[in-house]
Amino acid sequence: MKLIGVDIGGTFTDLILADVAQQQTWIHKVPTTVDDPSIAMIEGIETLCQMAQADYGDIEHVLHGTTIATNTLLTHDGARTGMVTTKGYRDIVHIGRHQRPQHYSIMQDIPWQARPLVKRRDRKVVSERLDPKGETLTPLNEAEAKTAILELKEAGVESIAICFLNSYFDARHEERVANLAQELYPEAFITTSASIFPQFREFERFTTACINAFVGPKVKRYINNLSQSLKKQSVRGELHIMRSNGGVATADVAGEQPVTLLLSGLAAGVLGGAAAGTQSNRDRLITFDMGGTSTDIGIVTERGFAEATARDTWIAGYPVMVPMIDVHTIGAGGGSIAYVDTGGAFRVGPRSAGAEPGPVCYDKGGTEVTVTDANVVLNRLDPEYFLGGEMTIYPEQAFAAVQALADRMGLDLHETAAGILTIVNNNMANAIRSRTIQKGQDPRKFALVAQGGAGPLHAAEVALSLGIPEVIVPRYPGITSAMGLLTTDLKHDLIQNEFTLSTEPNLSKLNADLQSLEEQVKAQLRADGFSETDMTLQRFADCRYVGQGYELRAQVPGGILDETVLQSVWQQFHDLHTAEYGHAFPENPVELVTLRVTGTGPMPKLSDFPAPAKGDLQDAWLKTAVTYFRVNGQLEKYSTQFFDRDRLPIGAHIEGPAVIFQKDSTILLPPHSRTTVEPNGNLVIRVTDDSPIDKALEMATAQSPA
Amino acid sequence: MERLYHLITMTISPTKPRQLPKIDPVTAQVLAGALNGIALEMGHKLARMSYSSIIRESEDFGAAILDADCQQLAECAYSTPLQLGPIPGYMRGVLKAMEEDGEEFYPGDVILHNHAYYGASHGPDIGIGIPIFRGEELIGYSFTTAHHLDIGSSSPGSCGIVDAVDAFAEGLQFKAVKIYEKGVKNRQVWRMLRQNIRSAQVVVGDIEAQVAACRVGEQRFLELVDQYGLDTVLAASEVLMNYSERMIRQAVEKLPDGTYSAEGFIDGFLDDPDPSKKDLKIAVTVTIVGSDMTIDLTGTAPQVDDRPINMPFVGTVDIAIFVTLRSVLLDTALMEYVPQNSGLARPIHIVAPKGCLANPIYPAPVIARCCPGNIVADTLMKALAQVAPQNVSGGIGNIKVVSYSGAVDEDYWVYMDITEGSYGGRYGKDGMDGVDTLYANTRNNPIEDIEAHLPLRVTRYELIEDASGAGKWRGGLGSIRDIQFLAPGQMSLEGEGNKYAPWGIFGGEDGTPGGVQILNPDEDEVQILPSKFPCRKTKPGDTLRTISPCGGGYGNPLKRSPALVVEDVLDEFLTVESARQDYSVVIDPVTLDVDQAATASLRQ
Repeated sequence: MKLIGVDIGGTFTDLILADVAQQQTWIHKVPTTVDDPSIAMIEGIETLCQMAQADYGDIEHVLHGTTIATNTLLTHDGARTGMVTTKGYRDIVHIGRHQRPQHYSIMQDIPWQARPLVKRRDRKVVSERLDPKGETLTPLNEAEAKTAILELKEAGVESIAICFLNSYFDARHEERVANLAQELYPEAFITTSASIFPQFREFERFTTACINAFVGPKVKRYINNLSQSLKKQSVRGELHIMRSNGGVATADVAGEQPVTLLLSGLAAGVLGGAAAGTQSNRDRLITFDMGGTSTDIGIVTERGFAEATARDTWIAGYPVMVPMIDVHTIGAGGGSIAYVDTGGAFRVGPRSAGAEPGPVCYDKGGTEVTVTDANVVLNRLDPEYFLGGEMTIYPEQAFAAVQALADRMGLDLHETAAGILTIVNNNMANAIRSRTIQKGQDPRKFALVAQGGAGPLHAAEVALSLGIPEVIVPRYPGITSAMGLLTTDLKHDLIQNEFTLSTEPNLSKLNADLQSLEEQVKAQLRADGFSETDMTLQRFADCRYVGQGYELRAQVPGGILDETVLQSVWQQFHDLHTAEYGHAFPENPVELVTLRVTGTGPMPKLSDFPAPAKGDLQDAWLKTAVTYFRVNGQLEKYSTQFFDRDRLPIGAHIEGPAVIFQKDSTILLPPHSRTTVEPNGNLVIRVTDDSPIDKALEMATAQSPA
Repeated sequence: MERLYHLITMTISPTKPRQLPKIDPVTAQVLAGALNGIALEMGHKLARMSYSSIIRESEDFGAAILDADCQQLAECAYSTPLQLGPIPGYMRGVLKAMEEDGEEFYPGDVILHNHAYYGASHGPDIGIGIPIFRGEELIGYSFTTAHHLDIGSSSPGSCGIVDAVDAFAEGLQFKAVKIYEKGVKNRQVWRMLRQNIRSAQVVVGDIEAQVAACRVGEQRFLELVDQYGLDTVLAASEVLMNYSERMIRQAVEKLPDGTYSAEGFIDGFLDDPDPSKKDLKIAVTVTIVGSDMTIDLTGTAPQVDDRPINMPFVGTVDIAIFVTLRSVLLDTALMEYVPQNSGLARPIHIVAPKGCLANPIYPAPVIARCCPGNIVADTLMKALAQVAPQNVSGGIGNIKVVSYSGAVDEDYWVYMDITEGSYGGRYGKDGMDGVDTLYANTRNNPIEDIEAHLPLRVTRYELIEDASGAGKWRGGLGSIRDIQFLAPGQMSLEGEGNKYAPWGIFGGEDGTPGGVQILNPDEDEVQILPSKFPCRKTKPGDTLRTISPCGGGYGNPLKRSPALVVEDVLDEFLTVESARQDYSVVIDPVTLDVDQAATASLRQ
């Protein structure tokens, strides 16, 4: 069986072909064809098939990670969207939570007011109202609904979001209006708020529905185009799209719910990191994907990847309330700009030189010092070997620019370059802290997975500053998102709000709802082509103490819920509360807010990469040169070995300081760290000998330069 | 006239000066990030553990780490400025009270403090503080503040207590009371709390969440000090405070030296026959000399002895001023983020005569000071408009705070609802619609959350049409919010802006005042109420309608582009009639096209 993963980013399209039976993998990278991404995709598939000597007809699945939904939202380039909402509540999506995004600003723009997804003229109100128990307060006025739909059609909207209060509990009015819209305006892209995610909190749910409607037509066209291109080429396998929840969906489902694709590529990146960790038998991982402008951080434990709290996840300034992998993105990357601000503070990022004009050393017009330039000054990036020699860099430009910055601060050249790296590494370490320590997890019990073009260059020093003992560098750090696509399952999440109290649980309703959710999930999986025996169902209960506003997720065992099982759920919640906040209130009643059923259908998986070449370490040696590291607070010169990763043999042992080059990344081993090449192709770097050192400034224990 | 410089009177004797090491800019940045992370974690945990919607949904809380001299080192970047800013003042008040009473700190102590004349913002904003000891040495404080639903006032809830005649009527007053001493829970204080507060389960749960958040701050700060050494942490903090001071001084220095004044008015009690309780002046005079700025409130109306709209000088007035200055001078949308710490206060000097609304004398009541404080902020912005015209907005529409309550199981349910206001027009852009304003930045509570948990129904919530202040850039729109009782209960309200409309500026028109109404199912007549009313009984079906004021316009409305006027008409923010009347833009009522010729001649 053969699988293909395609991760289409703004600049490159990464492809990977896995032959599950033969346990072999091939990778390929082509420039993204922005106007019609399917062109690069088909080209790439063609090349991969040649490499693997495979026929299109042998490809059983094509799995795809995409940024189309995210970019459409970020550039605000979606469809003209209309909204049908409850009379008396026309401006829920305009007022929002009435909080200004910035405390200390008169001149700020509020995203949903300055850039509305649906302009007010296209927000139509109709008489209808249900109470939170589904009782009718005002019957749906179908005549008004029809008028609203026809007015929107007349106005030329392409997409309609139907958003009624309390529909999270009872969606019958939303569904009825959706049916009317289908009849009256069948060409329109129609979204109901409850069908996306039936969770209470109207601003967040309505906005999520509006995003779905806004990006929907474009994403649907995009997916259809890809599907058709594949069919035209007689690729046998069906197209599946990665969703933000870490599972894939069929092209049809993805096209209906494009808001669930906003983190498609990022989720694949976390899964790719997790897969690399699994290859090296680690199950507690921090995925660390550092590119040119930003770094994405994900957390994986033995319970799987961390999920974002749906109620406070924001994308492009808008709230998005759907299940998502918790990926934390910060503005720190190779292109991050270092500067001294008007108050004299030394800052790095979040402003980035990006790919254009890029770092000063690219000589493409960049004049501001970047993180990459600092790495060049410390001789961690070599002009001869940088990205396989395909990208020319001009070190003298970097030296001059960093020197100018150093002069402004009264520091020396290398101190300034090292300072830039310390600040950017520390910014990333703080981001990791916010995802671990602040959530009751000790980062010292994790391994850091270095991904992206810049991840392996910074990971060891970031790990040191957090006391993380080891760094895993996947065989191809630059294409881990494409890898991640081939490690996932097909996945559906369904939820039901309950608001049941531990003091008076309604067992019969809970059981009935669980059963109903399970049946719906099974039906969806059957529609995706899975048999009952292949499906895996998991059940969860989102709970909180009565009165609290934030829920924690407990697992619900299979079978009928009875008092005993429920007791175990409450106990789990108390334990989770202690783990997360350091405190529990076991005597307080618990509210079960939401039941959730997650169904997965298994997809075939990626195997290990071909083992690296056998041979002698000496064959991989490139040269010895001087680089700089801070040790015991002192910046020192070190004689450093440079290697070519492609020629590193299994079992080879390398002591830091060392720099290892490969086509898609550069790996740094600071003094006192060491690594061995694993048979699966990964490098596992031990960054410290003994008890973890949690010091940002003392990068390693004293050792005289070799 | 007696004047009070708060930073002098409230300063406690500083700890003995340390010789701090010189610190490099890299380490300063590293520690800035670490301190920030600590405050964020405190706030995150407080919001998630707390019970009442006023904390967890509205985010009316604050969290910060202070050094041993009560200087704020870092604050939690979310939550509201009105809770964050006062924290150093709370802690100074705690120390003052302890000194007066001969009390001392021990490791393991936890302090409860809400005394408005000792640094607290007002009684319901309870401060919880932990002295951080490293061995024997007191090295700082971990502190949180939060608005509580009830503190045992004369009527249910902690807002709309507008008939409180003195500080005692406002509820329980705590002046640096130890709820833990040397690590041991002072059970008697906790029992007293439970016995004297409505909905005590919720309130006490929230206090426990504050204690837990403070403990996290204490632990993290100690870890940081262990890692870097106290001297390095303090030196970095000093660098950060100097930096923030430098940034604000640079901004002040750019403004021309001189004296700039403005006046604003608060409604006060419009239905009270006593003229000294209404139409009260707020006077602000800004004097700029080099990089120093003095804000003088002399000329502000005398305090109201027996109504709680007086504003604590420390905790309300100073915060209104600091937050406004920073928002205008160091606007985070226009420049990089400047750390919020005590350095920002150094060049700012605040003066208010004792006995005026902005510096009341104990035991004058203060519990309903929130909305008047917003007018201090608004009037200061008006004065600054003379020197920073591109960084201010027209007058803001003030907010309202309502307490809803009723009986449940021989106790109360209490719910607090904050209704948003609006901003005036701004240079190059219209005002923000339906937002919390200036020194307050809370969040509303979702309608679906309210209806699922309380015998209340939100029967309308949308923007007001056709009411914003006209201008080249128009004022923001306020909202209409109707909340109906489904069971018997009571409510009380405090607000401002029913009489005095938000001011227009640079030729912009004034906005519109707000309103308060009761819609009773048994009566056709809508009952019109002033901007404040004390606790009143309600029947099922009674509906409170709050209408926010709409912001003032910025610049001459005749200079507004007709295209923008049409956009507003299309969105029904504006009617065709108002387009003609306010903007001299003639629009065809059917096609909604601009009649260019008619517009041009009208605009002549």
